[in-house]
Amino acid sequence: MDFIYTIFPPKVLSQVFVGLSRTTILFIVSSGLSLILGVLRIPNVAHGSLYMIGAFMAFTISKVFGGGDIGFWLALIGAPLGVALVSLIAERGVFQFLYEREHLMLLLLTFAFSLVFGDLVKIVWGAEYKSVPVPQVFQGFVNLFGGLPFPLYNLFLLIVGPIVAVVLWLIVNKTKIGKIARAAAVDREMVGAVGINVSWVFAIVFVIGCLLAGLGGALVAPTVSVTLGMDHTLIIEAFLIVIMGGLGNIWGALLGALIFGLSQSLGILIWSQFGIVFPYAAVIVVLLFRPTGLLKSTW
Amino acid sequence: MKKSLFFVTFLFVLFGLYLVCPLSYAADTIKVGIIDTYSGPATTYTQDVLDGFTLAINQINAKGGVLGRKIVFVTRDDKFKPDIALSMAKELVLRERVDILMGSTNSGGALAISDFAKKEKIPFIVTDAKSDKIVGEKGHRYVFNANENTMMIGKATARALAKKPYVKYWIMGEDYEFGHACAEAIWNNLKALKPNVQLLGQSWRKVGEVDLTPYLSGALQAGPDCIISASGGGGVVNFLKSVKAMGLAQKVPIYQHYATDTLALAPLGLEAPEGVMGSSSYHFYYPNTPENKAFVEEFRKVYKKYPGSTALYGYTAGMFIAKAYQKAGKVDIEWFIDALEGLVIDSPVGKLEMRACDHQVTLPMYYGVTKKVPGYDFLVGSDMITVPGKDYLPTCEEMMKLRK
Repeated sequence: MDFIYTIFPPKVLSQVFVGLSRTTILFIVSSGLSLILGVLRIPNVAHGSLYMIGAFMAFTISKVFGGGDIGFWLALIGAPLGVALVSLIAERGVFQFLYEREHLMLLLLTFAFSLVFGDLVKIVWGAEYKSVPVPQVFQGFVNLFGGLPFPLYNLFLLIVGPIVAVVLWLIVNKTKIGKIARAAAVDREMVGAVGINVSWVFAIVFVIGCLLAGLGGALVAPTVSVTLGMDHTLIIEAFLIVIMGGLGNIWGALLGALIFGLSQSLGILIWSQFGIVFPYAAVIVVLLFRPTGLLKSTW
Repeated sequence: MKKSLFFVTFLFVLFGLYLVCPLSYAADTIKVGIIDTYSGPATTYTQDVLDGFTLAINQINAKGGVLGRKIVFVTRDDKFKPDIALSMAKELVLRERVDILMGSTNSGGALAISDFAKKEKIPFIVTDAKSDKIVGEKGHRYVFNANENTMMIGKATARALAKKPYVKYWIMGEDYEFGHACAEAIWNNLKALKPNVQLLGQSWRKVGEVDLTPYLSGALQAGPDCIISASGGGGVVNFLKSVKAMGLAQKVPIYQHYATDTLALAPLGLEAPEGVMGSSSYHFYYPNTPENKAFVEEFRKVYKKYPGSTALYGYTAGMFIAKAYQKAGKVDIEWFIDALEGLVIDSPVGKLEMRACDHQVTLPMYYGVTKKVPGYDFLVGSDMITVPGKDYLPTCEEMMKLRK
């Protein structure tokens, strides 16, 4: 152990750990965004709103079931499903008629949706800050290298992240729908020409993407105040991550989230006063050398 | 072609008329125009202002209003943007013909409205913006501040911290106007009171940052005697949550303005950390006076919640307006301002004065430590210390020097 410490001081190791847990939320949300961007070509600005709705739903579900552990686990399943339902309605009701439109038009439309969702959340849940309690099992902290406290809940996030990544990989690469979706991303017309109902494939992909936003919201709820406006904070970061990783590439989203999360936590160690700048500087550096993103873009 | 041109001109004229004509000719009311942020995370605070204000004017109107007139109000959402705040203020004055402007939680917005109020000679009462520029260097005859400002927070907090044995400090905050102004005011005053204090470092995070763990562990690694946190709004809730998750309050003393504020503690329930030092200019359970109890009871009856700090500002703003008109004896802007200058009201926290020199209300500040107390399903501040307004407010001379 001492040998490792001489290469990586405990300070650095703990900040890496802390950064990784943040990466998890960023990855889950931006992978959904990237999936929709890649297959449907929709720059979904409302993705952040769905993340916010996920967090609010998690609050309600957890509260209905007494605010305890059962409430948390049910919220973790229920909130993403609720968000999926909302997105299904939006997709079948509006988006499915607009796939052929220009990107700018779609951008405006999804932006409009984000405003509508924002107001809906205010009407349904009100303006007060909400808080979801951390479940009993994950309360407290463990001492990391050098005795730094690391919240148990963040440890839980570190486990969830890879699980989501693997499941997503399985869906995209091993299932029929995943294969069709990948094909549709490359050539939409050809997939339609071989007799596949592209419309429903798109609907399913859209719902999966939004489900991930909801899951991100439900996962983040216990660590923050659930509040109006949490959508705007996240959506910008998510877009930067997706652009950095390569548009529509899920592994790009993972790589982007890693760079974003780690540069932030290590930035604090290097120059705390301007730690906030590091992730954005990383984006600039990446885009200077790889203007189309780190991995292959599907666009 | 000509016909359509005529039609367009006609529409413009019609629209123009619509703009300049007030929608209602209500001579028998006093109309307050409220511009505030009713969307986004600041809404928790602005809603309490509005609730407090509504409660006050309903009480006044129930007794027949002032000077035989009822007080009414209209609201506009500035979406936390100064430019929207300004255009809303213009609209309220030109079209709605309001007598008084009130609002906004965004300091930039409040300063923009203040500038407009100065030109238009309309009284403007600031209810929740914290910038000290409002009554400081940008102060003028028509602007009044009914809430605390960052200079007051800095002075009062520095006094409280200087009495503690801490020497090495770490400052962390949210990277926006309030965060920086608050931290700067605390630090400058603390340094003046206790020259041997040391700043080990500081970290600033984006407003609404989801995970504070990297910032807190960064602060802890520097080994400070005390952490000063300068977050506002929802950031306080996030901060307290992360402190709890890392068990930080047991490792290092932490101070955060608003940490004892009900608006931050109530949403957390019993999940908030104990032992965090905090302050606020209002707590519904302190001071334990009949006036405060009566206000809280009334507020709870109507809104089914406890009033937070900003509810007091809204409530007292309503009382100041009514009492000033009463004292002025007629509905006239200049008379109203003369009456409001130096006016003293009985509020839930005791007598409050609207200082004549700088138009700042002399609010007391309360310091406490978060604690679980039987009877509440959320944490409250305990071991409260009161700092009366006159003990810590910058003097009139200091304020006048700023205006030059």
